Amino acid sequence: METKEKTRFKHLEKWDSTLSACIRCGYCFEHCPMFKYTGWESDAPRAKIITAFGLLSGELEPTKMAADKIFNCFYCKRCEAACSSGVTLTEVFTDAKKDLVEMGLKGPGTTSVTYLNCARCLVCVKACPHEARFHGEDGIETDPVKCQACGICVEVCPAGAAKIENNFGTGREDLIAESSRFLSTHASAKAIVFACNWSYFPDLQASRLPESETHDKDYEIYVNMCAGRLESQLLMAPFLNKAWGVLVASCPEDECQHKNGNTRAKKMVESLQSTLERVDIDPARLQVVEIPAGDKTLFQAEIDTFIDRLNAMGPIR
Amino acid sequence: MIHQKGIPMKSVDESKLREIFGDNNVKTDPSDLYAFGSDSSVHHAMPWAVVRPDTTEQVQKLMAYANDALIPVIPRGGGSGMCGQTVPIQGGIILDMKRMNRILEINLPDVYCRVEPGVVDDDLNLALKPHGMFYPPTPASSRIATIGGEIANNASGVRSVKYGATRDAVLGMKVVMPNGDLVTLGAHTRVEASGYQLHKLMVGSEGTLGIVVEATLNFVPIPEYRCMGIANFDDLSHAGGAIGAIMSSGATPSMLELVDSVAIKAVNKTMNLGLKEVAASLIFEADGMVKEAVDYEINKMKEICTKHHGSDIKTSYDPKERAKIFMGRKKLFPALSKYDDSLSSTSLADDMAVPYSKMAEMAGKIHEVAEKNNIIMTAYGHCGSGCMHTKILMDTNREDQWASAKKAITEIYEYVRSVNGTTSAEHGIGLSKAESFKMEKADSLRLLQTIKQALDPNNILNPGKLMQAPEDWVTATGLRYAVHN
Repeated sequence: METKEKTRFKHLEKWDSTLSACIRCGYCFEHCPMFKYTGWESDAPRAKIITAFGLLSGELEPTKMAADKIFNCFYCKRCEAACSSGVTLTEVFTDAKKDLVEMGLKGPGTTSVTYLNCARCLVCVKACPHEARFHGEDGIETDPVKCQACGICVEVCPAGAAKIENNFGTGREDLIAESSRFLSTHASAKAIVFACNWSYFPDLQASRLPESETHDKDYEIYVNMCAGRLESQLLMAPFLNKAWGVLVASCPEDECQHKNGNTRAKKMVESLQSTLERVDIDPARLQVVEIPAGDKTLFQAEIDTFIDRLNAMGPIR
Repeated sequence: MIHQKGIPMKSVDESKLREIFGDNNVKTDPSDLYAFGSDSSVHHAMPWAVVRPDTTEQVQKLMAYANDALIPVIPRGGGSGMCGQTVPIQGGIILDMKRMNRILEINLPDVYCRVEPGVVDDDLNLALKPHGMFYPPTPASSRIATIGGEIANNASGVRSVKYGATRDAVLGMKVVMPNGDLVTLGAHTRVEASGYQLHKLMVGSEGTLGIVVEATLNFVPIPEYRCMGIANFDDLSHAGGAIGAIMSSGATPSMLELVDSVAIKAVNKTMNLGLKEVAASLIFEADGMVKEAVDYEINKMKEICTKHHGSDIKTSYDPKERAKIFMGRKKLFPALSKYDDSLSSTSLADDMAVPYSKMAEMAGKIHEVAEKNNIIMTAYGHCGSGCMHTKILMDTNREDQWASAKKAITEIYEYVRSVNGTTSAEHGIGLSKAESFKMEKADSLRLLQTIKQALDPNNILNPGKLMQAPEDWVTATGLRYAVHN
């Protein structure tokens, strides 16, 4: 039997028994948006716990690659909701991040960074719900421990200088490309649903269905990390690809994990509804609905109602 | 790390792997390899590389290369195995099948579906649901377990008492053999009597004989009616008597679960469910297309429970009430994990099966052994299938607790074998159960090894498992815990 030496992870150390308590059932990884995107088990929450154990026990060297495993997390906490051992995974990751930062391993992973074209307007500093962005010695900086990768800074930055370099499919360009692909490859396609990670909890299908099962699909759901990140270019893009409508699902008021992402989404949708109205398009073609975390019945009912409404309206002429 | 004779430690030709799978589907960084060294068991070992095929041809090319270079290949599905089946104790290449996850065909008139091995069980059921069908062997880990992994371990679950295990649902398959050859086994028919039924041999072979790249599976209609009941017992033996009586009564339960006093206390302690703390509870269910038929089945089970001194008996068709009845059983898994901050819930001796008449005695034996060895063990499980689950709660950092656990397991398996039970009912053998498995199958071990030798002469497919696994798994394999003296 091997006796393992502990290393210098003083913040992570307090999770010693938790890392053993994780029974490694893997129930977390079917819920992880990162795993859904890469398909690599080593990107899933269980692998991060295994990585944390390896770092703490000294079995795994604290390299950039190992650190990235920990820094690549959207803090959606879906893994925690699914955890059969009650492990608060993101708290473990945060403490591991503290230690790694002290060792000079700062990610960025999914945390946001600032490009040189930053105008230091401080809009991102004000908008950040986690007080992770600040004016430091090198201009606008991100505290990689505090950042929860919601991406709100990316969308509010007027200069396009705030970036999340590792989007794992949740960035604006990815979502536009994916929704365009669906609309152009499905003759029956009518709607795009942009759901925040919590409103879509917990069903995300990983396996691929045969064409015979999907050819008459009339909508597709795309997950983003926070509805507060949805902005006009993304929300209007499906209309360019002949969508009949766009539905946004967000958390209910006061339940947003990123403080006010849901109210930001509402305001954005209201503003775009006015735009649609001005060009004689029924504003009801763009809707926002509130879905409490885990209420998949309500989520499906809202989608069905929206599709019924679109069927009554027909395509945009 | 142990090494089988004839398989020297080899390094992998990374460029060859990249040529077959593409750069995006090969991992060799230690941080990735470390994560793939674990599954849901107590074991850990580092692989040399991880690859992710998308096509059968890629699997064939890999096997041809590995067979030639004598490199172990360990096929892996969801990584939810509980006995170390996918832990690469001799190193080698992990063949992660999760990317081959296409549901190829749902054929309603012929009542079968064809799937790739990486399809997740729950996903298959989601796809079958609109057609009014379901795939019944479903284990508790169905949200993560892949069909390939379920085939490798002959997985089963709560409904297997009526609908059977994975082996009963598999009609045929395509398999890549260790030398890279592709063979088609079985047929798309319900019955077959054409020779050795090699597809059935592949089920439960734990990735040691071939790599399933496509499976043809039977499915069944979702029943219109489902009724669940619960009965409490003040004496474990009364519950045991009821189990045998139900199974021999002609009634066909679609679920028959036992939960013991330790389990009930654990659920109450951690989940505050306020369940009545009795010696045992039986949860039973009947399902079917005709309500009168379900009524008949459920009434019969109620009568039997009453006759065997069951109390507080209630039944319900209402889904919310059914969920309430099942809550204690459903919450048991997490309850055991959260039982005590200093104790971890380990999967050891966790799925043996014994004849119905021995279920109660088995539960009592588990309590006796746990107390004697100063560990916490609970008895619960799919008693309708004769399967008893346990979990051992212990301080996994303490070496003496491992010694106690090992002792307890040895005693429990001795009992299981003495009553003609079997070491594993659902989870397979892997590493953790090899010791008892070898004793149980002592007179057929040579036969098993002959089959392995014939199909995999270079011993490259998942070596060091089943009959090749070391007897003393605590010392001969790496544990995933930080164990101190």
